[in-house]
Amino acid sequence: MRKHPISFTVNGDLQELFVEPRKTLLAVIRDTIGLTGTKEGCSTGDCGACTVIVDGEPVTSCMMLGVSANGKEVTTIEGISNPGELHPVQQAFLEKGGYQCGFCTPGFIMAAKALLDDNPDIPEDEMRHALGGNICRCTGYTKIIEAVLSAAETMRANA
Amino acid sequence: MSEHAVVGKGVPRVDALEKVTGAAKYGADINFPGMLHARIFRSTEVHAKILSIDTSEAEKLPGVHAIITQDDIPTGRAVFAKEKVLYYGEPLGAVAATDPDIAEEAAELVKVEYEPLPVVQDVMESIKPDAPHLLNDRTKDGPRRRVITRQLKKLSKETGEDNSAEIERLNAELGGLDDEIYYNVAGETHESAGDVEQGFAESDVVVEGTYTIPRVHQVYMEPHVSVAQAEPSGKLTVWASTQGHFAIRSGIAGVLGIPLSDINVVGVTMGGGFGGRFNIQATHVPAVILSQKTGRPVKAQLNREEEFLDGRPGAGCVIKLKTGVMDDGTIVARKALAFWDCGSVAGGPIANTIRIRGVYKFPHLQMDAYAVHTNKSGTTSYRAPGAPQAIFAAESQLDEIATIIGMDPVDLRMKNMREEGDQVPAGATEPIVGYKETLKAAADAVDWWNREKGPNQGWGVAVGDWTNGCGPGAVYVSVHEDGSVRLFHGSMDITGTDTAMAQIAAEVLTVPYEQVSITRGDTNSAPYNTGSGGSVVTFTMGNTAKLAAEDARGRLLELAAQRLNTDIEHVELRDGKVSLTNGDAPKSLSLGELAAYSLSTTGGPIVGKGSLSGRLSAPAVAVQIAKVEVNPETGNTKVLRTVASQDVGFAINPIAVEGQIEGGVVQGYAWSMMEEMQYDEKGNVNPGFVDYRVPTTADIPRIESVIVEVPAPNGPYGAKGVGEPSLTPTLATFANAVTDATGVRINDLPIKPEKIVNALKSNGNGSR
Repeated sequence: MRKHPISFTVNGDLQELFVEPRKTLLAVIRDTIGLTGTKEGCSTGDCGACTVIVDGEPVTSCMMLGVSANGKEVTTIEGISNPGELHPVQQAFLEKGGYQCGFCTPGFIMAAKALLDDNPDIPEDEMRHALGGNICRCTGYTKIIEAVLSAAETMRANA
Repeated sequence: MSEHAVVGKGVPRVDALEKVTGAAKYGADINFPGMLHARIFRSTEVHAKILSIDTSEAEKLPGVHAIITQDDIPTGRAVFAKEKVLYYGEPLGAVAATDPDIAEEAAELVKVEYEPLPVVQDVMESIKPDAPHLLNDRTKDGPRRRVITRQLKKLSKETGEDNSAEIERLNAELGGLDDEIYYNVAGETHESAGDVEQGFAESDVVVEGTYTIPRVHQVYMEPHVSVAQAEPSGKLTVWASTQGHFAIRSGIAGVLGIPLSDINVVGVTMGGGFGGRFNIQATHVPAVILSQKTGRPVKAQLNREEEFLDGRPGAGCVIKLKTGVMDDGTIVARKALAFWDCGSVAGGPIANTIRIRGVYKFPHLQMDAYAVHTNKSGTTSYRAPGAPQAIFAAESQLDEIATIIGMDPVDLRMKNMREEGDQVPAGATEPIVGYKETLKAAADAVDWWNREKGPNQGWGVAVGDWTNGCGPGAVYVSVHEDGSVRLFHGSMDITGTDTAMAQIAAEVLTVPYEQVSITRGDTNSAPYNTGSGGSVVTFTMGNTAKLAAEDARGRLLELAAQRLNTDIEHVELRDGKVSLTNGDAPKSLSLGELAAYSLSTTGGPIVGKGSLSGRLSAPAVAVQIAKVEVNPETGNTKVLRTVASQDVGFAINPIAVEGQIEGGVVQGYAWSMMEEMQYDEKGNVNPGFVDYRVPTTADIPRIESVIVEVPAPNGPYGAKGVGEPSLTPTLATFANAVTDATGVRINDLPIKPEKIVNALKSNGNGSR
């Protein structure tokens, strides 16, 4: 299958690639670039495990074609922390026990980050609806919501 | 306050950083240069003879390197269907190609000719004589036929007496019991105590009901995946996302007919299991054989649709249950007849039908359970396999009884609960248990006896029980020259069990938790370990970690005594240092100093070993109370509050324990109210998250966990297994709450809105 040239950034790094038009952004991130922190849970855009941030918006990367990322800025779970310094959402998930098996965690953290970047004052009931596209099977969500609420507090304080 | 420094604290897990940064490597994250990608091709018929499989077109596709079918399985053990298919999506073979999309294209090019056969999906239809007979199983007798057959056998052996009239009578009764000849039965199990019919005759009130619990998927978030590499020497390495890598090793060895020592299985981080990731699954053998054929590493991976079509979900069942009680609430007798849908593969948690006995004392019990074939995939464990189903029937019926006799549902349960020394129906006597404490804790948390409810609101309570196992396991503890402590073992961690082990080692060796780290060995390097399931891990591995750390501590004390020129009785380990207890001068040696010293001693480096294969575990109980509000127009149920108390023995890490409780409750809520794998003559009709809805943050509010600690005599610091009990009462809890809110009882799960609306309609409407 003929490949198309695309150019975009992932976590600030310029990527210039030849990509088959049938490859999803998720496949490009995981298989071509080799960043495996973003997970594939359903391949149909329903579980949120593959959530990344594209130009500031949360996107299920299994539902976006890689070629559509041309010219865009993509941020993955690998791009939100620095050595020795976690993003407040990551820190909160760590402290509150907002993960168990951890497979949904990168997607959840990216969805929560995008949400709080947009509105760190979001009330819990709206937060629960906004995060309804991310499935976690282990935690029962209690500690995830505690973590996102706690991260919101930190991000408000940092703002 | 806890007398402990590290255990009992909610420290972050040892794998916290790698999990929140995306650094953890799961099965699908394992990649190698030159790796091929496998795709399984599957049956598009539900029940059919296979006339031919033609792979010639698929082989021609550029990028395809190998195609395998059942003919490639050296031992002939069933991996792929060959003669006939028994469900839609059954594997027929697999393709390996340079790219996952090419493998998928190739799989679609495989041509299969079938001769369709009649389909049966309902267990109650499958047991009938006119149902298609799926696997030519022998027929089995139902409960009454079993009794009569046994009596006839006994009578025929009694010589000298004239039994002919009795034999004739029994034969006549047998002749009228044709509906108790069950077809398509894969297995059966029976238990009894006392005389259940006599018990019903003595009861003031007898209640009967039929309970239908659907097949549900574990929905671990990471679909099954394996990577295999066949070496030129014939040795195999398999990277498996699994609950137990030793079981993968023996499973592969069995199918290939090769020695265990030819296979090394590396257990990688796993994206959830809930019982569905035990033993070899769909991906392991295809990856291995395709790697053998091509000499290249092969990754085999399912997608979510394949998980639904060809996973091994939790079994559904139909349970006919009958309970007799006295007017004062005393339970007298209980009888269950259960049909478990094991799909096309023998199995199903039929023995756990016994969970209908609950945590109550009563003299008369009978349980007859059958596993029945249908045209579905096989089943496997799902979190406390069998218990949520049986306990749903039992605790729903108990609630109905409470209403009939006009007794408070908590009082009714409390009155009948077993205590230490009580006889378990068809079982042993109870060891120390925390049933009443746990029920009281939940009731107190919601102020049960003063509970209030508005219009269309209701409260439900239910009690579930489970006993954790204890499998073989072993841990080595090393103490290094910098004072750090490392554990080495072969147990897979899902829920934070590595963290519990690290906390225990830190506690014993009196070092900070952060100073302890863990290495998991592959099957070549680690000592044997049981799989991570059955709530065994903290109980087993916590004990072994404690034994290993104590062994290391013994050696540290010995070395210190030697170094300080004293006896071992005169030294003690505290705060990471061994000190003289009788010296005038404050002399002490740190763990690091002792570890360095050990290197030049004849005894060598400090290694502690803990190894055990079995210890008697303790029964655990979970009690849940929910408050719901049901919209009588739409049938929608809104959860207002859920309190979950659980006797965990001792919470080594309370955050992890709460996480287990919360997760179990939400899975149980989903089973009660949302989830159901649906099948018709076309097979599974909802193989995706749009049609098989699982709960999200929007579906259920925070779970309030209440930790009860009645120590297990043999548990590490008294800990019990916590993973499974939390799901056992939940199905009934929400069903009972809906009944309290609506006045109608739905015994056919899940309680979807339309069932509530229809039940209210046929009940002459009525919010109350």
